[in-house]
Amino acid sequence: MRITRRMPTAVVGTLVVAALSLCACGSDSSGDDGNVTLNVQLFGSFGYKESGLFDEYQKQHPNISIKFTSVQQESSYWPKIQSQLNAPSGVGDVYAAEVSRIAQVTQNQADRWVDLKTLGAGDLESDYYEWKWKAGTTSDGKLLGLGTDIGPLAICYRKDLFAQAGLPTDRQELAKTWSSWQAFLDVGKKYKEKAPRNSAFVDTAGGLYNAILGSSVKQYYDEGGKPIYETNPAVRDAWNLAVQAAQTGLTARLKQFDEAWNKAFASGSFASIACPSWMISYIKGQDKNGSGKWDVAPGPGVGNWGGSYLGIPKNSKHQKEAYDLIRWLTAPDQQVRLFRDSGIFPSSKVAAARSEVADAKDPYFNDAPVGKIFSDVAQNLPVAVHGPRDGSVLDIFNNGLLSIETQNTAPDKAWQDTMKNVKNILD
Amino acid sequence: MFKARRRPGQGSAPYLFIAPFFLVFAAFGLFPILYTAWVSLHEVDLQNPDEARWIGLENYRHLFRSEFFWKALENTFTIGVISTVPQLCMALGIAHLLNYRLRGRTFFRVAMLMPYATSVAAATLVFAGLFGRDFGMINWLLGQVGIDPVDWESGRWTSQIAISTIITWRWVGYNALIYLAGMQSIPADLYESAAIDGAGRWQQFRYVTIPSLRPTILFTIVVSTIGAIQVFGEPLLFGGVSGHLGGASRQYQTLGVLLYDEGWFNYKLGYAAAVAWTMFLIIVAAVVINTTLARRRWRNGA
Amino acid sequence: MTGPDRPQDVRGAGTASPRRRPWRSRPRRGRAGPLTYLVLIGLTVVSVFPLYWTLIAATRSNAEINSVPPPMVPGPNLLKNIDLAYDEIDLTKAIVNSLIVSGTIAVGTVMFCTLAGFAFAKLRFRFRSVLFGLTIGTMMIPPSLGAIPLYMMMVELGWIDHLQAVVLPTLVSAFGVFFMRQYLVEALPNELLEAGWVDGASTFRVFRSVVLPIARPAMAVLGMLVFLQAWNDFFWPILALTANNPTVQVALNNLGQGYVPDRSVIMAGTFLTTVPVIAVFALLGRQIVGGIMQGAVKG
Repeated sequence: MRITRRMPTAVVGTLVVAALSLCACGSDSSGDDGNVTLNVQLFGSFGYKESGLFDEYQKQHPNISIKFTSVQQESSYWPKIQSQLNAPSGVGDVYAAEVSRIAQVTQNQADRWVDLKTLGAGDLESDYYEWKWKAGTTSDGKLLGLGTDIGPLAICYRKDLFAQAGLPTDRQELAKTWSSWQAFLDVGKKYKEKAPRNSAFVDTAGGLYNAILGSSVKQYYDEGGKPIYETNPAVRDAWNLAVQAAQTGLTARLKQFDEAWNKAFASGSFASIACPSWMISYIKGQDKNGSGKWDVAPGPGVGNWGGSYLGIPKNSKHQKEAYDLIRWLTAPDQQVRLFRDSGIFPSSKVAAARSEVADAKDPYFNDAPVGKIFSDVAQNLPVAVHGPRDGSVLDIFNNGLLSIETQNTAPDKAWQDTMKNVKNILD
Repeated sequence: MFKARRRPGQGSAPYLFIAPFFLVFAAFGLFPILYTAWVSLHEVDLQNPDEARWIGLENYRHLFRSEFFWKALENTFTIGVISTVPQLCMALGIAHLLNYRLRGRTFFRVAMLMPYATSVAAATLVFAGLFGRDFGMINWLLGQVGIDPVDWESGRWTSQIAISTIITWRWVGYNALIYLAGMQSIPADLYESAAIDGAGRWQQFRYVTIPSLRPTILFTIVVSTIGAIQVFGEPLLFGGVSGHLGGASRQYQTLGVLLYDEGWFNYKLGYAAAVAWTMFLIIVAAVVINTTLARRRWRNGA
Repeated sequence: MTGPDRPQDVRGAGTASPRRRPWRSRPRRGRAGPLTYLVLIGLTVVSVFPLYWTLIAATRSNAEINSVPPPMVPGPNLLKNIDLAYDEIDLTKAIVNSLIVSGTIAVGTVMFCTLAGFAFAKLRFRFRSVLFGLTIGTMMIPPSLGAIPLYMMMVELGWIDHLQAVVLPTLVSAFGVFFMRQYLVEALPNELLEAGWVDGASTFRVFRSVVLPIARPAMAVLGMLVFLQAWNDFFWPILALTANNPTVQVALNNLGQGYVPDRSVIMAGTFLTTVPVIAVFALLGRQIVGGIMQGAVKG
């Protein structure tokens, strides 16, 4: 039997298709004419596209074209780019790194990111908040990320619901009343007494816990990089306060960034939330009819939640062009624009000092002086010790608290489970 | 004219027939799998894969001592049973209905496949909304008959039932179609003979349809078992931000989700590879048990 | 006789004389009663409502979707949401890419699986059982198992962000082989094959003129299922492709970005990218059903 005789045309067809698809007909990212395409990988929203920054940069630099990809969830973004970072040849030229990852970058991945000081970033140091700059620097002084924004914490609250429950609604008065986190919980208990139906004082125990812990210098790791989550009294105290909130029914028992939590902004299921500056836009987006109902007051402590950096992978073929881009994106002018458009708080002291930021008032939040509230916090933030797995550990603690809130787990058991889960990650 | 030749269908032809499949598999299936087996013998951090450390079978030892693994195994089993057994029975029934002479036959058959055509993300989102604690429609319906709202996602059985509902919804039409294709090949005279012998519709179903469908049913059982052991998308997306953990206390974390969690959240690639290989071995064992049991039962039933 | 004997007996009666009777008899001639229609209509509603909700969400604004109770009928915002979606990502390109990818995978898989399925069903060769067992074995491999090495491979080959990175690894479907084998074992009479061989035709010739026509209904079903699966696949494409050259699921993943994920825009994108699938269904639904029917009637 001859093999070649009358092979089914379909088989031949398929092989041809396969052969065609094997031809790697792709385009190179830089032609000989000096045109460069920069591949920017981001997560969530940095506001660059919304504020037209990419378009403007491309107009100013006609030979640069920017292709940007954004993954909504940071927790999906980070593993995805690991393979790209570790590949021999690059896919991206600019990568974002959230503050919960930056220690991983500076401590364990220094060989994969470009030291931005070699490209000229050293002269920017005085522009930034000291703690923000330090977090992006390795122990031997290499700068691996330029800070984009920060998330100083205040308390966003529903003025109308507070009024219904007989609580004071003036933000200065409230700030004085809740001078400590325990006092905050006490306000919550008063709220509960006369609160409208189905309305809890605060959204989640986890959010509360994170805000409380945010004032501490040492959180899950010590300066030597050793995990101290189990013994650090700051962790225990924050946990205990959050447990108190959960067990006295002060929380709405939701999961942050879930559908139900999104809906809860408008429905009034919770009356207050530990509020980083980027949450301002979030609230406006979720509660379109909420103008005038919400307000912002300084909280009991100073904490930070979120904020990111932009870095350049060593395997990028266009490091110089990428650096020019990120330097421009994080320049004070642009940071001010982002604050104006999306409420993203600048990581640059210079930008924060400008009047468009420092004196900003938000009509949605009853003309609250958001600029002042957040920059006061930003200036007093401690230089916190970051660890490589901060984000993951926080996630576990949140789940432990959620289990108390929604599954009636005993706090001791929840603590044990949390310890087990954290050990599972860190070992 | 009869040519004296080797019996046709032997020789090299069969190998050529299976060659395309195996070639593609060798390149894109086999090699990565073997490499992953290699990875499972190391400690590898997703963020620093170059610093892999040889640890032999330590990952597997850790796995078998881990309460998370056993919990995930248990969850996989319970979700697997709840989402497969009723589903296949319903699929048989639906296929039977679709086999009748129907007006709008094509319409119904196409409609049954719509769930399979819906993306996992969109479907799970919709169902997660339905099963929502505060605003979900199912709780609203329960409220109409005086039952308190159920926190579907937090409870162990409630979350597993919800997830199984999503899985059943997605796959019942698919399996019904497979059964239907099989039913089409049953000769009508079998039914006629049975009818003549006095068998009613139900008996015809039981004594003609189902036995003739045996190979097909076994096929769907095997495929469903494999799918059930690997189930990953539905629990992950159902849980939203805590989906990768399978709920605040891992109440619906399946093996597939555990794999994803260890690899993509804890960045322990070596450990995740060990989970993957263990899943593979479990699947093999389950399929072997399935087919042996089925064969034996059929042989005994003969 | 008081009742049907064991099914084997009944079956034996049916296949006693294949030459006289058409191999595939007509389908069940029972007529559907009103209860059947009721059940089927109920099932249709259940099957379709998430898609319907996608339509509602796609035609409304984000605030409306989040309101309690949610709207039950579509609204006027579809075009606006689609516009917003297009602002963020080139959906047309994504749809075209998905059509190419899913189509190639469907055609390729069906061909490879029919070839292999036929071989395992009717041809005799050494190691047949072993190789078939191996094939089934490949089905038991969890999809995430080989993802990382596969990714490294794609990086080495330079195929990241190209469609072949998504097409080629997905061409292997042991399920397809299993499916075609099952079908052909049942549906392909040995007599026809023998007749072809006796007449001196090569195995390939027999495959083309005898096996393929009989296999067609199953090939159509398999092709459709594979197409759908490839269309909805997101785990691997999200690793292998970026927004520069996305398939539909990759594109949707990048939609609705912003501090507030805009659900209505995401749903508009989802809806728009499900429409081709439904169109394929609507067009081919008749064909496929007809194909199954035809296979049943053909002699």
